[in-house]
This record gives sequence, structure tokens and C-alpha cells, in this order.
Amino acid sequence: MRGFLDRFKYHGLFIKLFMVTLVSIITVALLTSLVTIQMSEKLFMNTFSITNSKIISQIKANFESFNYSIVTASNNVQQNGTIKGFLTNPDLNSTTSLKSYYQASQQMERIQSNVAAYPVMMTITGVNRKSHSNDSTYWPNSLEKLRNSMLTVNTLVEPKRLLYQLDKENISGLDKDPVIVASRALMERTSGNQYGILYFAIKESDFKRFYASFTSGGNDVAILDQSGIIVSSNRQELIGKENLDLLSHAQEMEQKGLTFKDVNVLGENSLVLSEYLPVYDFYLVNLINKKEVLSEMVDFKTVALICVGIVLVALIIVFLISRRLTKSLTLLARQMPRIAENNFDNYITVSGSYEIKELGKAYNYMLDELNEYVRKLIQTQKDQRNAELSALQMQINPHFLYNTLASVKILVQQGNKEKAAATINSLISLLQNTVGNISETISVAQELVNLKNYVFINHVRYGDQIAVNYFIADDCYGYHIPKLIIQPFIENAFFHAFQERKDGHIYVLFSREDETLVCEVVDNGVGMEGYDHENPDHSAISTSHFFSGIGIRNVHDRISLLYGEEYGVEIVSNIGEGTRVKIKLPLHKT
Amino acid sequence: MKKLLAVVLASFVLLTACSSKENNAPNNGGNAAEGTKEITVWAWDKAFNIGAMERASEAYKAKNPDLKVNIVENAQADIIQKLNAGLNAGTTKSLPTIVLIEDYRAQSFLQAYPEAFFDLSEFIKADDFADYKIGPTSLDGKQYGVPFDSGVAGLYVRTDYLEQAGYKVADLQDIDWKKFIEIGKAVKEKTGKSLLTQDPNDLGLIRMMIQSAGSWYLKEDGTTPNLADNAALKEAFETYKAMMDADIVKANSDWSQFVGAFNSGEVASIPTGNWITASVKAEASQSGKWAVVPFPKLTTTAGSVHASNLGGSSWYVMNVDGKEAAAEFLKQTFGSDVDLYQKLVTEIGAIGTLKAAAAGDAYKQADEFFGGQKVIEDFAKWTEQIPNVNYGMHTYAVEDILVVEMQNYLGGKAIDDVLKDAQAQAETQVK
Repeated sequence: MRGFLDRFKYHGLFIKLFMVTLVSIITVALLTSLVTIQMSEKLFMNTFSITNSKIISQIKANFESFNYSIVTASNNVQQNGTIKGFLTNPDLNSTTSLKSYYQASQQMERIQSNVAAYPVMMTITGVNRKSHSNDSTYWPNSLEKLRNSMLTVNTLVEPKRLLYQLDKENISGLDKDPVIVASRALMERTSGNQYGILYFAIKESDFKRFYASFTSGGNDVAILDQSGIIVSSNRQELIGKENLDLLSHAQEMEQKGLTFKDVNVLGENSLVLSEYLPVYDFYLVNLINKKEVLSEMVDFKTVALICVGIVLVALIIVFLISRRLTKSLTLLARQMPRIAENNFDNYITVSGSYEIKELGKAYNYMLDELNEYVRKLIQTQKDQRNAELSALQMQINPHFLYNTLASVKILVQQGNKEKAAATINSLISLLQNTVGNISETISVAQELVNLKNYVFINHVRYGDQIAVNYFIADDCYGYHIPKLIIQPFIENAFFHAFQERKDGHIYVLFSREDETLVCEVVDNGVGMEGYDHENPDHSAISTSHFFSGIGIRNVHDRISLLYGEEYGVEIVSNIGEGTRVKIKLPLHKT
Repeated sequence: MKKLLAVVLASFVLLTACSSKENNAPNNGGNAAEGTKEITVWAWDKAFNIGAMERASEAYKAKNPDLKVNIVENAQADIIQKLNAGLNAGTTKSLPTIVLIEDYRAQSFLQAYPEAFFDLSEFIKADDFADYKIGPTSLDGKQYGVPFDSGVAGLYVRTDYLEQAGYKVADLQDIDWKKFIEIGKAVKEKTGKSLLTQDPNDLGLIRMMIQSAGSWYLKEDGTTPNLADNAALKEAFETYKAMMDADIVKANSDWSQFVGAFNSGEVASIPTGNWITASVKAEASQSGKWAVVPFPKLTTTAGSVHASNLGGSSWYVMNVDGKEAAAEFLKQTFGSDVDLYQKLVTEIGAIGTLKAAAAGDAYKQADEFFGGQKVIEDFAKWTEQIPNVNYGMHTYAVEDILVVEMQNYLGGKAIDDVLKDAQAQAETQVK
């Protein structure tokens, strides 16, 4: 869990960036599609209502031309004497009867050419109970029923009008497709005597052809009569049903002259357009089911799918790009903290975008500078130490020279010319080595010569009660050591270890321990309180050196500085037991 | 993060997969439809022809579930019009696999477009069917149609009215038209009812009369009008006028009046095809009052028998894709399935013309409506006796001329002139 959170920490930027983009993309996509859909819906509904009102006038024209044919045909029937005779004269015998039927059928056939464009069934019935149908296979089923039907009663109530009615009763056959019947009473012009009824029947399925081609899913047409009964509709289930809601909407629109109305009918939110057909006394109602029509126009599913697709693609691209951007930043963030662990060499892999690269370069450049600075600082310190040391080494104590020269003078006065010459030789040799380059190293063998010269001079000066012995391991002669590194300790031993007695021993030992050259200066003098080269008090030990001003502490520091921490000077000393100085040096052949 | 990416990618792929699947769905449907056999049938009359085809389809499906029979109902006039339009244009694209054609019209199609119809000679044995059906359904010795319903004619009579006039059913067996008119007069006198009803525009009665004598409007070749010197036609016309003169005919001018005339008990007989049975029985109150007697024959014309035909139709296979399947379908149903014919008789009242079907049980059922008469059996028996005539190509064209001439004849024109004029008109018209 913690590990996960840690990982999370490094991706914080990416997550924030990605989340913000994610939310914005989705919001933009959603809002855009919603607004677009809404706008197109509005536009569509407006256009739809305009087109549909045009369509309605077209349908109206269709109905009117149909009505015109019917009216023409009915006038022809009305004016036809043969038909009038057929419907009024009683039958005398088979021959005349057959003849009148034949003639009537001929006339009716001729008149039917007026309505030939429409699949109309014409029927006439007369007061003499004779009748004729051009085609009675479908309608009327039974003349007896027809005579007594509401259809006929309504016609006789309004004899002068061409009456359009829906009829479901007088149909033969199994499939009950209702018919729309236009009926009219036939009457003598002058007397007004009614002598028959003329019926024009058209199947509802044929009647709806006047408008069916204009309908589509959700765009329905219904024809209502004055009692609210749906006479015809492209929606089969509505035919013959009473719908007073729709009627009242249609009537209201008729009265107020509205083009369309937004209402809730048949349980659907619909746009209703209506037109009154005066010759039929019907209302032509166009129902536009908003939901269905819109769903047909606007394919929500596809729009949604495309939206989702675009959003996903965009997200993937954003994901990849922001991941790429933040990845290098994350890398930087991971790499940079390591510098705190004194690791100035922790360079950063420069990758990613231009800005990140520049940042990485600048950081690396800074590291370069820092390292350079540190290196320079160390160098300066080294130089300083060297300068300090050489300055000290250069100072040969004048007392030493004075004492040595004084001793030589005494030796010369005593006539001990040989010893005086040896002393002078030793001094010359010693000065020669000392005056040379202080930073040079010399071999153990040469250093040994220097030491012996120094010891010889001291023996001349103070007597040889203090014996100095040298123990050099055979393999150590060749190693190089810094000049005058041992001398201060021998000097210390001479002048401090044997202050209370005249005689004593000093041992100088060179040996090799593993990879270290070990040089020991051991005396059996008075000893001193344990030496600690960290302790500043102890550095004072070296202040009164005769030969040079080099303090023991300086020797230790110098060695450490030159060769590393593992090298240096160790002093073990106990009061009354003498002192042991151990100098550790690396094995160098040059 | 990688996991999230994987999930997002996977869901995207899944989405595209889903949508592509949707797109493919209708295509698959289309391919499947091509793969399974489907035939289309055009017919008219839901209660009769369509009903028969539906039962045939069911029977076939029980044995061969692969075939899909798609039955489309059209008005007969529409079928004629669509067939003419399609065949005229020389395309069979919009045409059905199987079509029902009325026998009177069959030759006009077969002769005009023989290559548009599929030769069923290998599927159908002409000998299995009533002889008279073979004329209209074949051409040049090739069998194109599968004969369907019999239009075998009979004389439906009201026994109660006859009894009032002093006749029994036995008296009406094997009568001629002279006797028929005589009976009519008696009925009219005793009951006041007309003997029969006629539509001046429909000369079905004339057609039945001349076919009973083996004659037709056209000669054997099917194209030459045969009116002027047609003895059978002449006698038929004279008989028709005699009926009118005897004042035993009630006029009607359409189907509902025709049916109304006998349902309301206004006429004592109906000389017509057996398909009227259903309409007669529709008036249940008249049960037991009806009988069917053999069709009267012409008195003077030699060779006239007590059997004739009115209407009837047959199935034809168009020369389109799936014709073999359609032919096989017809062979196994209307071409041979005796059980199917029993069903058609009992459930629809359709009498087929397959000879073997008459042996079935349904054909031997006594009908209480007709006083226990085995009506179907009688009709089947008469079917076999119907003289075979060639209806030719112009039956209805000639009839239109004759309808007019009949009126002239009834109006007093001499019979020879009537037929001569009709002959002249027909010759100019059908040329």
C-alpha cells in the first residue's frame, strides 16, 4: 500500500493533468453534442411543421379532386333519366326487368368513368327496391342491411348534401377493412321527390392512398368526422375509434387559425397540424410524434457512439502525450533527491521535451560546476598545506647551525681535524638534502643517510651517550618517503625523552605491514602523557625544534592530506617507559 | 496506468466490434433469405383459393420444412393486370413463382407468353385430373397448369317450392331446358316466385349450356369465333329468351343481389357452379329445403350432356428462380395429395378435379342442408362427365359482344342476324 502510494506520489502531476483533460474533454463532448442535437431538433421540428403544412394542403387537394369526381358522377346519376326510370318504374315482366337492369348497368358503367381514377364502388338503390352495384363483391354485403343502416338514415336526414361516412357494417368478406361511403339522396329537381339513394364506397385502404405516401413512422395522418370518430388513418388500430381530444384540438386550431399545436395526444408528445375539409365535413389531422420522428432524424445511438469514440481516441492521445511529458519530469523528480546523499556525480539522463532537456542540461551543468568548485577547493587546500609545510621545512633552525658550527670550531681548536671534517661533511650533506625541493620524496636508504648525519652531528655536539640504532627490513630500502619526515621525531627523542638522564637508546625501525610502510621511532626516555594529534595542546610539543619548525601534528596532517586517512602518525607513550611513534606510509617506489 | 490503458483500449475495441456486428446483422439476414428456398404465390379470395393454398402449404411443410411459401392476396383484376404488365415488359422480376389463373383466361396467357410459364409435364400427370380441365391448362401437348377447383355446374333447387308446384326432386333428374321452363311456369303460378335470377351482363348460363354440348364461343383452335353457325349457342340463346318470355326470371345486376335473391327465397333454383354451395348454406334457415340435381341439357343440340362447368381456376408456375421447388410443391400437394383434397372439401367447400380425390371419405359425406344428399359425390361424378372444350383466348371479349347482342335479341332482333352480327364484330375485334 505504501509502495503504491509512493508510486502515486511521483505520478501526481500526470494524474492531475490527465484528470483535468479527461473532465474537460468529456464535458466539451457532452455539451457540444447536446447543444447540437437540441438545435437540430428545434430546426427540424420547425422545418417539419412547414413542410407538413404544405403536405397537408397537397393532401387536401387530393381529397378535393376526389370529391370533385364524386360530385360530377353523382350529378350525372341525378340527371340520368334511364337510371331514374330504373329506380322508379315497377317490373312488368322478366324481359322489361332484365332490360331495365341492363340499361341501368350500362349507364352506371358510363358514369363510373368519372371516378375511374379511384377504386370506387357505386351503388344505387331506388324506391322500387331495385338496386345496382358496379361491383358488389366487397360492398354492400346485403342490400337489406344497407337500407336500414345508419348510413341511409343519415343520408335521408340531409338529402341535399353529399355525405361522407365511415361504414363497417355492410362489408362482406373476412378481412374487415372498413369503407368510406359518400352518399346522397336522388331527388327530382322540380318536385323534390326522393326516388333513390346513390352510394359511392371506397375502401379505407384505398382512401388512405390520398395521404399514405406522405406518412412515415411517427408522422401519422388521421381523418376525423364531426363526432370525433377517426374515419381513416395510416395507423390501422385507430380507425373507427372515437378521439374527442383530437377533435377538440382540431376544432380549436380551426377556430383560432393555428398552423400547428404542441400537444399530448394518444399518450405521446406530438405536434398536431390540422385542416378542415369542408366538403367532407372531416378534419384532416397530421400527428407528428416528436420522439419517434426525432429518433429517426437524429440517430442518438450513432452520435453517442461517435462521441464516445472521439473522446476515447482523444483521451488515449492525451494520455500518451501527457504521459510522455510527465515521464521525464517524474524521472527528474526521482533522480534529483539523490544529490542530498553527497553524491555530486549523480548526473541526470537528459530526455523528453525541449524544456525538460534544458532543465536537465542546466542541472547537469550545475553539477559540473559544483564538482569543479569542490575539486578546486581541495586543490587549493592541498597547495596551502604544501606551501605551509615547505615554508616550515625551509626554516632550518639557526641554533642548530650555530651549535653545529660552534662544535666544529671546538673540534678544530682541539686539533681533532678528522672529526671536524666528518662533522662538516655531515652538515653539508644534511643541508644539501634540506635545501633541495621539499616536495620530493627520497628513498628510505637516503633518508637513513640523512638521519645518520643528523645523529652524528648531535653526537658531536652533545656526546654519544644516547645511542641511535637502525633496524631496516631488507625490502624497505627502495621505498620512497617524503623528505625529513622522520627527523622531527628523532629530534624530539633527543631533546625531550632524556632530560633527566644522560644515556638512553633510540631505535629507528622500517618495516612493511601488508601494503603499508611502517616507520617507528622508539625511545626508552621519560615518556609523556598520551599524545593525541587531535588535541591542540599536544601540537605545542614541536614548537621548540632545533632543526626545523615542523610540528608532529603537521607531519600527521601532511601525510593524511597526501596519502589518505588511513595513513598518519600514531604515538603511544607512558610516563617513565618511553615513547613509541609509529608513522604509516604507503608503499611508493618513486 | 498501463492497466488502465489496456482496459480503455480493450473497451474501445469491444465497442467497435459491437457496432460492426450490428452493421453486419441485416446483411446476414439477406444472405440467409437467399439460402433458404422461398416461393411466392399470388391468388385471390381469402376464403377460398388463399385458404386452399394455405392448407396445401401446411401439408407440405410437415414433410418439407425447408420451403417457405409466401402467399400474397391480390384481387383477380390486379393479378391479371400485373401479369400482363410484367409479361409485356418481358421481365419476370416482379412476378410470383406460382400464380392462380382462371381457366377462361388461361389460354390467353399461355399462348401469348408460353416461355414465361414452366412446363409441368414431368411433374403432373394430365390423366389424373378431370378431362375438361386439361384443355385450358395445357398448350401444344405440354401441361402448364395444375388443375385446381372444379366449376362443375349443377341445378340447385328449392324442394319446398317445387313441391308446392307439384314436383318432386326425382322429377328434376336429367331434365332438359324445355322441361325446366315448364316447371318454372308452374312454380311462378303456384308460388309467385321466379325460377331463377339472371344478371343481363353475365352470360354464365349461356356458357354452361354450350359447354354441356361440347361447344364454345371459339373454335377448337382457340382463336376463331364460333358464333354464327353454332347450333348449341343458337339453342342457348333461344332458351334464354324463352325463359324471359315465360317471365320466370328475376333480374339482378350484381353479386350481392344474386346471392340475396336465393338467400331471401325469391327464386326457386340456381343453375350454376358448385362454388355457390357456401353462399347457399350461408342462409342456415333454409337447411333441408335445397337439393342439387344434374344440370339440364339442351333439347335439340346433339351431344349435350347433364354436366357442365362455370368458372374454376388452376395453378401455374412462372419461369423464374425457384420454379423447380414450386413445381415439386404443387406435385406433392394439389398434384397428388388426396388427404389435402378431403380437407379442402370439408373446411373450404372446394371440390378439386383430382380424380383420385373423389374416392376419399369427405366426398361421400351426406349433407343435411341438402336433405341428406351426398352433394360432393354427385358433383365429383358430374365433373368427370364435363365435355372438354378449348376456352381459347377471347372468352371475355366475345362475351362482351354477346351481352349487347342478347339485349338486341330480346328486343326482337332475329336470332340468325344476332349471331351473324356478333360473329362479324368478334372477328374484327379479336384479329
